Amino acid sequence: MDQIIQTLIIGLANGLIYALVALGYTLVYGIIELINFAHGDVFMLGSMLAFVLIAPPSNGGWGIFSIESGTPLPLLTIQILIVLAICMASMATLNWFIERVAYRPLRHAPKLAPLITAIGVSFILQNVGLILGGAYQRTVDSVFPTDNLLAPFGITNIVLTASQVLVAVVTIPILVALSWFVGKTRQGRAMRATAQDPDTAGLMGVDVNRTIAITFIIGGALAGAAGLVQILYNNYTVYTLGVRFGLNSFTAAVLGGIGNLQGAVLGALVIGEINAISDRYVSPNWTQAIVFGILIAVLVFKPTGLLGQQLADRA
Amino acid sequence: MSGTTKVIGTGPGAWFGFIGSTLASYPGRYRAAYHRRRTRTILLTILLIGSLIYPVIHSVFLAGFSRNVVPLPLPDDTVMTFMTIFAIMSIGLNIVAGYAGLLDLGYVAFYAIGAYVAAFLASPHFGQFGIDIVFLGHVGPGAVGIHLPFWIVAIVAILVVATFGALLGAPTLRLRGDYLAIVTLGFGEIVPLFFKNLSSVTINFALGPLAISLSNVNLTGGVQGINPIDPPFLPILDVVFDARSGPLAVYFGMFLVLIAIVVARNLDLSRMGRAWGAIREDETAAEMMGVNTVRTKLLAFALGASFAGVAGAFQASYLGATTSDFFEFSTSILVLIMVILGGIGNVWGALAGAVMLVYVDETLLPYVSQRIGDIAPALPNPSQYNFLIYGVLLVVMMRFRPQGFLPSRQREAELSVHGLADADAQMGIVGEFDNVGVAPPGQDETGSDSRTPETPDEARDL
Amino acid sequence: MTVQSTPGATPLPSNLLTGSVPDESILVRSRGVTKRFGGLTAVNNVDFDIPRGAIVSLIGPNGAGKTTFFNMITGYYVPTSGTITFDDTPIVRMAGKKAKSLKPHEVTKLGIGRTFQNIRLFGTMSALDNVRVGANVHLTSHWWDSILRTPSMLREEQATIDSSMELLKLVDLDTRADTWARNLPYGDQRRLEIARALATRPKLLLLDEPTAGMNSSETRSLTDFIRRLRAEFGLSVLLIEHDMRVVMGISDRVTVLDHGEVIAEGTPAEVRANPRVIEAYLGREAGEES
Repeated sequence: MDQIIQTLIIGLANGLIYALVALGYTLVYGIIELINFAHGDVFMLGSMLAFVLIAPPSNGGWGIFSIESGTPLPLLTIQILIVLAICMASMATLNWFIERVAYRPLRHAPKLAPLITAIGVSFILQNVGLILGGAYQRTVDSVFPTDNLLAPFGITNIVLTASQVLVAVVTIPILVALSWFVGKTRQGRAMRATAQDPDTAGLMGVDVNRTIAITFIIGGALAGAAGLVQILYNNYTVYTLGVRFGLNSFTAAVLGGIGNLQGAVLGALVIGEINAISDRYVSPNWTQAIVFGILIAVLVFKPTGLLGQQLADRA
Repeated sequence: MSGTTKVIGTGPGAWFGFIGSTLASYPGRYRAAYHRRRTRTILLTILLIGSLIYPVIHSVFLAGFSRNVVPLPLPDDTVMTFMTIFAIMSIGLNIVAGYAGLLDLGYVAFYAIGAYVAAFLASPHFGQFGIDIVFLGHVGPGAVGIHLPFWIVAIVAILVVATFGALLGAPTLRLRGDYLAIVTLGFGEIVPLFFKNLSSVTINFALGPLAISLSNVNLTGGVQGINPIDPPFLPILDVVFDARSGPLAVYFGMFLVLIAIVVARNLDLSRMGRAWGAIREDETAAEMMGVNTVRTKLLAFALGASFAGVAGAFQASYLGATTSDFFEFSTSILVLIMVILGGIGNVWGALAGAVMLVYVDETLLPYVSQRIGDIAPALPNPSQYNFLIYGVLLVVMMRFRPQGFLPSRQREAELSVHGLADADAQMGIVGEFDNVGVAPPGQDETGSDSRTPETPDEARDL
Repeated sequence: MTVQSTPGATPLPSNLLTGSVPDESILVRSRGVTKRFGGLTAVNNVDFDIPRGAIVSLIGPNGAGKTTFFNMITGYYVPTSGTITFDDTPIVRMAGKKAKSLKPHEVTKLGIGRTFQNIRLFGTMSALDNVRVGANVHLTSHWWDSILRTPSMLREEQATIDSSMELLKLVDLDTRADTWARNLPYGDQRRLEIARALATRPKLLLLDEPTAGMNSSETRSLTDFIRRLRAEFGLSVLLIEHDMRVVMGISDRVTVLDHGEVIAEGTPAEVRANPRVIEAYLGREAGEES
């Protein structure tokens, strides 16, 4: 029983990371109906950037914000916030750049073309990751103490670490902020309108190009945040990370209902749990196959996903 | 319209008569082409003859020259054989993506299945289960495992792969293009995973009279793979076409490519080709004109897949071994690049794309990195950059020349950057000209009852 | 008004609804056909018959449900409820509470061909190939015949070329047989679409606004052509048409739809004088005035 709960906790933590990335997929798909193949690799580069900023030079990083365990909490918080800001801003810029250069010229092309372009971008980004980070995993030492936070409550069989709490502390506010942005602000309304009908939105005064650009920027920022969390929680990065996470996050987005923000988060939590359960009770070798199987099953049997509807409701 | 004869009899005699007369017409047609476009005919003839004698010339002079005098980026026998292997695959993928317009991102799965069919049917592997069947195989007495000759292996590979293609396609081909792409991608990832993981299978299953009990059974060899695999063999001349036979294997590969070209061309110039073209242009209109779109797409998918099956079987037999490491997602994309770059919808384009890309990947890039490594070791190593190059290639091609270099005229018209805007206006079609979507404008078909639109807006324009 | 019928057939009676005529005269029989999209009812409980050898027009204001009805006869939409029978073969039947329909290509095989409101030709295929696609539905060769180029497949190929060229000649496009469909002028494209539909060897031809965008002389030739089709091929024709001169001049029967319901049915003269019809087109006051 304890094992199960432990597995579920791990699944939840990873699920939150998947959620940040899944939102990027779902936002972009909702607005231009493009499966942004390269999004997972943006996340990977975000994690590489975080690695480089945090890891000390002895480990290959630049050691700018070398966060070591033992740093007092206030300082730690500030450092993390700064790195978070840098990661989010950089990946947002990267994503904006990719949209501008690779996808926008193909806005009116048959859907095959931007999809293939996205694959090309994914290859490019992966190779950049390979060159920057090398062929093997790069790991950082855990920044947070690894004590079991549940110990004072007398629970010793289930472990909840500070870094897991960190995942929640970073991701949940971001999710809330996003939800507010899309639901309540003018720009968010513009995004929803463009998702439903770009031509009419344009006629109503929405700057469609800008709205799409902002969507990509937000997606990039989310990926950057996820990259940092990946480093702080899972403590490693590798150039193929985007492929693995991309699959999980994209499946999550589809499972929840592509184009649906709440669905992406829900799907991500489910996929996180499935990953954890599969890794523990089946075998990590088969986890990828299982996730793919879910993806195929959803697309074939219920392509609108669990929560159906698009970013903008269809009447 | 050309190529059909007016008076045709019945039965096999007539068929041989037709083949004979077609072959006999070639000299006449060649002469006509020579008169019409002299330069082009001469160049193509040189190219053809050059490719045919190149393997021999290479092994007789050039290899030695390149080794001892000046190193040249010349493809060697292995590379050339792989050119033929990938040519077969890209001709096959061209049927799926070029003729029928279906984006298959998991083509490597069929390649892998073909290779493992060869591995199962022409190696000692099944000897561990006590299954020893030798039938026309090229092995000594007392050989363990199953040993069938290559032509049987290839036929079985075709059947197995086509079956898998049909099974995969049946529920998924009605999906929108981008969803189909993702599903095929998933399939392309799962199949190699199966081959990798089934190296140690433990099952204890009992249901009524059916009981299966396997304990740590090595079904697929996993990462170590299966070897040795029997090479293709010609009994009369006692010739073997494996990795040690030099140019012979290249010629065998060329022979397979020739068959592939003929099959693809025949399909293109038949009711299948017209049906595929119609579906690609406007699937709804095609369906309304009586084309059974589901069955036609399924045929494209399964037939195209079987080419990869043959390629895989040949590859495994040629190398004498196979392992799950050979089959990755990037291979699917590589073949796709060959088709797109070479020219989508055109057999010759696919062939050219395959030759070019294998050359670049296996010969040119390693050569350049070696030279750079010799001259300036500090500079980055280009062969580490091959995916960067392919990625850039894809992005640039899609932006500026999505139809490739030698596209079929139809695809050129549909895809060329000018063509994209034109098609709409010319046809008076309301809504987005969507090469991928299967619905009339405004309708979103993503699954089950794709024929019932949900709002009257979606019902416009039919 | 005299009704032309196929040579040797009995003259068509004037009252055609609900089983008051022997079945052999009715080619298409629809009963209670309804189509709902979510909250909107596009077609509501329509009973509609097409007699064999007749030219029938389906008219009504925009949005009345005419094209939706076309789409249901051809199997593209599945009705919410109702039945449609073609030549005594069910196209749409009820299975419990849901309607089941044949697939469009099956309907085409039974003998219904159609054209589209906005031309949907295969633009990058030649005119001849466009027509040949239509001929596919009655071919018997399989994919392996195509690969092997068997004599029977070659014979069929030659036969389709011959028959397709004849159809092109019928619509005056035989000289443009190798031109790509999208490079043809608009009028030629419309006629090509008809030739393509004819290649499917239909018993019933559905024409969706065939004279849209045509001037009066083109319209006249098209209406003559439609009459010829009926006379020479024995085809029945169902038209959606907005040009009232065409409707009144060519139709044996006219059915008027408004808001998805049949509001009038009869000969052109009867329909023209029907106050409900006038009201639907011109508004309430015009209806009351007449």
